[in-house]
Amino acid sequence: MTQWLLAAVLGLLFALGTFLVLRRDVVRVVWGVAIISQSANVYLVTMGGLAGAAPIGDFRGETPPPTDPLVQALVLTAIVIGFGTTALALVLTYRVYEEHGTIDVYDLGGEGL
Amino acid sequence: MVASSVNQPVVVAPLLVALATAILTLLARFDLRVERVVSLAGGVGYTAVTALLFQRVVLGSESVLPYYLSNWPAPYGITLVADALSASMLALAGVVTLPALVFAVVSVRERGQRLSFHPLYHFMLAGVSGAFLTGDIFNLFVWFEVMLMSSYVLVVFYSGPEHTRAALSYVVLNLLGSAVMLVAIGGLYATTGTLNMAAMARRLGEPAAYNVAVAPTLGLAALLLAVFALKAGIVPFHFWVPAAYRAAPAPVTAVLAGVVKKVGIYAIVRLFFTVFVAAEYANGSALDYVGPVLVVTAVASMVYGGLAAVGRDELEQLLALSSVGQVGFIVLPLGIAALAPNLPMPNGVPGETLAAFGVAAALVYSFNHAVAKGLLFLVAGTLTDVIGTTEFDRLGGIARRAPVLAGAFLLGGLSLIGVPPLIGFFGKLLVFRVGVLAGAAGSGTAARLAWLGLAAALVGAVLTIAYVTRAWNAVFWGEPPKTVEAVLEERWSAGRRESTAAAADGGQFGVTSRRTLAVEAVVLAVLAVTLVGFGVGADLVVEAAAEAGEAATDTAGYVDGVYPEDGIDGVPADGGDHSGDGGGH
Repeated sequence: MTQWLLAAVLGLLFALGTFLVLRRDVVRVVWGVAIISQSANVYLVTMGGLAGAAPIGDFRGETPPPTDPLVQALVLTAIVIGFGTTALALVLTYRVYEEHGTIDVYDLGGEGL
Repeated sequence: MVASSVNQPVVVAPLLVALATAILTLLARFDLRVERVVSLAGGVGYTAVTALLFQRVVLGSESVLPYYLSNWPAPYGITLVADALSASMLALAGVVTLPALVFAVVSVRERGQRLSFHPLYHFMLAGVSGAFLTGDIFNLFVWFEVMLMSSYVLVVFYSGPEHTRAALSYVVLNLLGSAVMLVAIGGLYATTGTLNMAAMARRLGEPAAYNVAVAPTLGLAALLLAVFALKAGIVPFHFWVPAAYRAAPAPVTAVLAGVVKKVGIYAIVRLFFTVFVAAEYANGSALDYVGPVLVVTAVASMVYGGLAAVGRDELEQLLALSSVGQVGFIVLPLGIAALAPNLPMPNGVPGETLAAFGVAAALVYSFNHAVAKGLLFLVAGTLTDVIGTTEFDRLGGIARRAPVLAGAFLLGGLSLIGVPPLIGFFGKLLVFRVGVLAGAAGSGTAARLAWLGLAAALVGAVLTIAYVTRAWNAVFWGEPPKTVEAVLEERWSAGRRESTAAAADGGQFGVTSRRTLAVEAVVLAVLAVTLVGFGVGADLVVEAAAEAGEAATDTAGYVDGVYPEDGIDGVPADGGDHSGDGGGH
């Protein structure tokens, strides 16, 4: 049951993130990226399995095996990295606003290829 | 055997030198002179240790040097692995980063250097080294982030309107790429039960023994391929390249194009030719799936990059787009080799199988592109420093006024084109040879794709000649416009500062001292000599690349190197022996 719920939630989160990334407003784009990277983290946690007990103590030979704690360590790393990059992206958005006076992607334009 | 199972400091040395230098330069920010000295010393040290590692692993007898962090045996701890492929890539980084750093010391504005340039530069090197060395796929993600985080700030370094805009798209794209990479890594962990690349290769090779469902890993590998293609700037994922390369300071662009781009290439080689190749899918190995994709993207890159570069009227943009095209030349032999990896090669070819030869060709070309394109970007940076612009309209006739600059550009351009005796000739030769051998010996789709790639490479080569010639004509020949006339004569003959023309031009970079120019000219000359030297002594490069190609395609050797004693998945069967030389403390 939990895994179906999480799968649905993950799908929704990725969809929401994608929707935001495609907006014109840079702040929304950054939030979209943040949501996508957070949903990647949730996905990572679910990869450790959801059925087992908390992995504290000695579980040798026990069934069912406890939840894999490694993914949680990975997610911690990923959260820290995501925090740093989101902060950078937000500051960058502010700098873009300072330099261009707008945070609309269309108004910012681009070099075009 | 026993010796190689002990942790050897030479493996972590590039990482440690870069990290230590980054931290020391942060601490030395009180005095710019001290910071510069520390930074340069770190740069020299980095080149030295990469050369040492190269000497040990590629030229020496040892083939795979693992390093078990904190002495955790693989696959439980993070393992760093230096094999010929990693060591060659690190040596490439060592060759390019030191000249770029020296250039940066005189070229980047003092305020910028004081603020953060040096720590960022060395953190970027640490990320690059970690990505080359790690044998753990999540750790690869972490080093990618270290490298990217520094490169984000370096791209936005000058913080003007163009720079912020370029950095924004660069950051957003790479953040999305990171999220996708994380998803792929999580999926790989869930299916294979390990993050260690060697363990993954072993489990994919014997799925029944380890109870691994192989099929999902193909989709996850495809996700990873997209991420690495984004980092390498291969055609469907190239759109961030021109703006970002233009925004970053010239020496940083030289490193971004020369080294950081190659991290994506390295990751493709490492994961597909070493790890995923072990798995058997419904229609063959992972290489059978990835080969056509690589060939088609390479063809698109070569043609698009060449065509787009020919039409540019600005040197830096032209070079950035040329990078897109040149990466195609690097990816093409990989793609062709993936189509028929086990095709035996005739005598005299560096590599026993087509896969090994393809990787070797890609590496020689990477080396050529790293040095030549680094040199060309530095020439563009010198032009910006001196004249304040790299637009063709406002440049011309520089060959007579700045012979060193012109000579350096000429050699870099000729190497990019592939004229003997420069190293670029050997790069192109090997790439074409891969195509010819595969096309002649293969059959069906594989041969057709190889010929298609070869035809596109020919078009790409002609386009390279076109845009290099065009840039040369526009910048170095012809009548100098007023912008050049006013600036160059004074600067290069009398060496007076503060030329009026550059200032009036709005070129805030145009204030350059004679010493700065002298240093820049020396760096350019050194890189140009490197191109000639490695061209004349191409045997060394080709042999190293051949070693790297063998190492990259030798999955069993890689796995055995990471697990020196044959035990159950990393737990040494004979625990006493192993802990005797490694874990006794």
